[in-house]
Amino acid sequence: MIDWLTVHGALHPFYDGVLQGAGVTLYVTVIAFGIGLVLALALLVLRAVAGTPARWLVAIYVSAIRGTPLLIQLLIAYYVIPSLLDVTISPTTAGILALSLNTAAYGSEIMRAALSTIPPGQAGAAKALGMRPWHVWMQILLPQMLHRSIPPLTNEFTVLLKASSLLSIIAVNDLATVARNATLQSDLPLQVFAATAAVYFAMLLCASSLSRGIERRFARMLPYVH
Amino acid sequence: MSIDLDIVREALPALWQGLKVTAQVSGIGIPSGIALGVAAAYSADSHNRALRAAALGYVELVRNIPFLILVYLSFFGLPKLGLQASAFYIAVGTTAFYTGGYFCEILRSAFRSVPAGQLRAAKALGMRGWQVQRFVVVPQIFGFLIPPTVSLAIMMFKDSAVFSVMSLPELTYQSNLKTADTFAYLEVLGTTALIYWGSSVLMEALGHAMEVRVRRWSHR
Repeated sequence: MIDWLTVHGALHPFYDGVLQGAGVTLYVTVIAFGIGLVLALALLVLRAVAGTPARWLVAIYVSAIRGTPLLIQLLIAYYVIPSLLDVTISPTTAGILALSLNTAAYGSEIMRAALSTIPPGQAGAAKALGMRPWHVWMQILLPQMLHRSIPPLTNEFTVLLKASSLLSIIAVNDLATVARNATLQSDLPLQVFAATAAVYFAMLLCASSLSRGIERRFARMLPYVH
Repeated sequence: MSIDLDIVREALPALWQGLKVTAQVSGIGIPSGIALGVAAAYSADSHNRALRAAALGYVELVRNIPFLILVYLSFFGLPKLGLQASAFYIAVGTTAFYTGGYFCEILRSAFRSVPAGQLRAAKALGMRGWQVQRFVVVPQIFGFLIPPTVSLAIMMFKDSAVFSVMSLPELTYQSNLKTADTFAYLEVLGTTALIYWGSSVLMEALGHAMEVRVRRWSHR
């Protein structure tokens, strides 16, 4: 029989840290997602307009990121990259670096798939109407591409939020680290990790309902896009 | 900074041992998870309300809890419930549990790709439930299933790196031991990354070959 009052008392280290831990988790995820999306867009455009060698480099980068575990990428960002560049970086910086480089690869694949669903005739027609390449991208291709990639990109955000728990392995003070430390102090792994799972669950539910709102708003902003 | 190939050569046997453990966990865990996912998908579409709720709850749980937390929960939590198991079996079990939730979703969307009119036509021809599945649904959804299933298998193969936190001697754990030994982060982590990358590319190629084979007779 579990004595709930004792359990409640023993869980204090968890209660004390949970808000701050969830904040760190949310913070690194949002920052990394933002940087990652900008990089993804850059990769996409590079792939579309650059010459063959650059296209190959982008393809190899995407394949390497998608073919290796995020944990290995984190360890490389934390141990290898600083020693190569001869700098020291904090675990949080290394974590954000790895998460954004990861998002860049997955995000550019999502955007590429979305771009490929736009009929090629549209770009041709825009060109025939005398539009410059810059305007073709800004007014024809990118708005439709963004609209079509919103559902998979918001899904990518929830994937990233879950994956950010791995940052605890390089000692970032996120929610998973708070849980780990609270387990060591209370010796109640079942209760602590179940509570942690519940916090992640709640955050992810919020994220997915928020993303449905964003999808609706975008649908209103671009009524001519189908 | 130069690359010391001697360190790579020295690390390879240990990494190879690690890859074998990784392959065993994935090789047992992922197919078990697919079986679990099949059961969950048929439960989710069944007429029994309790079964349906259990299957949908299971999928939501898997989709909304980080894999690392699930690994911690089973590795540190299960012994407290009186369930003693080795790290290897816990790794196989969590792989299967996680794979099952995702495969359930893949299978359910594949079911929906079969036009409802075909199911009604099969019923009107007097086919039984299992006959509809065997002769109408299953032959058609294979081509649909392969690409997402291969992605899922690669995802779970890569996620097995997380088992290094419970000292399972898989590839990432062996790599961590070697880096702690030699401090040759670039050489050891680079080799490990290449091994994972090569394996993923190989799995992708196999999946593609399978897809080509299955779609050979498809008219669509």
